[in-house]
Amino acid sequence: HPTTSLPHEGNRACILVDSREITSGLEVISSLRTVHGLQVEVCPLNGCDYIVSNRMVVERRSQAEMLNNGSKNKFIEQIQRLQGMFQRICVIVEKDREKTGDISRMFRRTKCYDSLLTALVGAGIRILFSSGQEETADLLKELSLVERRKNVGIHVPAVLSPSKCEALQFYLSIPGISYITALNMCHRMSSVKKMANSSPEEISACAEVTHQKAEEIYRYIRCTFDIQMLP
Amino acid sequence: MERNSPGGTGPVHVPLGHIVANEKWRGSQLAQELQGKVKLMFEEGLPWADFYLSSRSCILYVTEADLVAGHGYRKRLVRVRNSGHLQGIVIVEKTQISEQYFSAVQKFTVLDLGMVLLPVANQLEASCLITQLVQEQTREPSRNPFLRRKRCVLSELSLVQTVQQIPGVGKVKAPLLLQKFPTIQQLSNASIQELQEVVGQAVAQQIHTFFTQPR
Repeated sequence: HPTTSLPHEGNRACILVDSREITSGLEVISSLRTVHGLQVEVCPLNGCDYIVSNRMVVERRSQAEMLNNGSKNKFIEQIQRLQGMFQRICVIVEKDREKTGDISRMFRRTKCYDSLLTALVGAGIRILFSSGQEETADLLKELSLVERRKNVGIHVPAVLSPSKCEALQFYLSIPGISYITALNMCHRMSSVKKMANSSPEEISACAEVTHQKAEEIYRYIRCTFDIQMLP
Repeated sequence: MERNSPGGTGPVHVPLGHIVANEKWRGSQLAQELQGKVKLMFEEGLPWADFYLSSRSCILYVTEADLVAGHGYRKRLVRVRNSGHLQGIVIVEKTQISEQYFSAVQKFTVLDLGMVLLPVANQLEASCLITQLVQEQTREPSRNPFLRRKRCVLSELSLVQTVQQIPGVGKVKAPLLLQKFPTIQQLSNASIQELQEVVGQAVAQQIHTFFTQPR
């Protein structure tokens, strides 16, 4: 059987953090570690801010960006990208740090902001509001605990041997695969060949993805290459 | 119009583009602001919700005073959540006074109950937000950018990129390999001898090891 269960990484909840967050959300990361005692793994998540379970990604956005019509399309594109990879998405709208005496940064609700919020609600994307980086860390912890209770917590180590690293890069190049899905495959598939010959059921069990996603991966592995179609 | 069941548990009938509001909101600033933008109908004896956007979706409005008063508002939220047929959207007044209670409300509403929560500063903001919610509900789902069908990406390009992740395989060898072994599955099952017909001995060995070595 391909699912060799791994020893759980202690009893601590695990969160994967994108390496970009080291510059923009340092306080979030240190709060997660020191205040909440979570296992925090910084990985190149390629623009997914936080992965809190096998199926959930969290996008951290500043309120200013959500208010501003200029960054609307960028935000929409980012969420659409995440929708291709994750079953569940949560957006944390974080209040910007106030500079003393700066009145121009005062919160003024815009139509753009309301329309983004209602579109997210309409698509079933969760929204949480945070007053700052510390609260964001607290919300991330709560989300990961809720997901753990639902048995979709992260239970594989994020540190990889060089040979597993090669396999990880290979799995990551499959369209619509998230970092955690690739990581699960690395740890739970005995070889890449084994993965390529797995049934959708086996893929679903090893990679911890929905049956639909497993079918997508299965089809991709068996999709016939046609040189004529290469642009 | 269809009457609601006297017990107040039946679905509330809401004509398209209208909002059914609880009678208690008549004359409020929120109702006045809404009246200019959407068609508002007042009804008495609505069970727990303040506004119905449709027969399946309602708004629970939690005021600054509700928050300061304690946990009384929670009972209404739980009732709507347990009703089974209603999606409840909780709009909460987050002001300087009620801000300290917001975090607890959010954890209860979103994380415990799995409902939607949207903060507003006052009734004026709430009216804009509710108008937007009505617009969102009445428009075509495909107009929502997050519900749009995603475009199909050409798989040929990604297949080449996937094969390029195999150690020893670059831009040139990837398409050559795929011409001989047109699926990832076939490539993974190729023997060293078969691979040698496309690439040199060393790379053939590398590819074979990549696929078969236990990890």
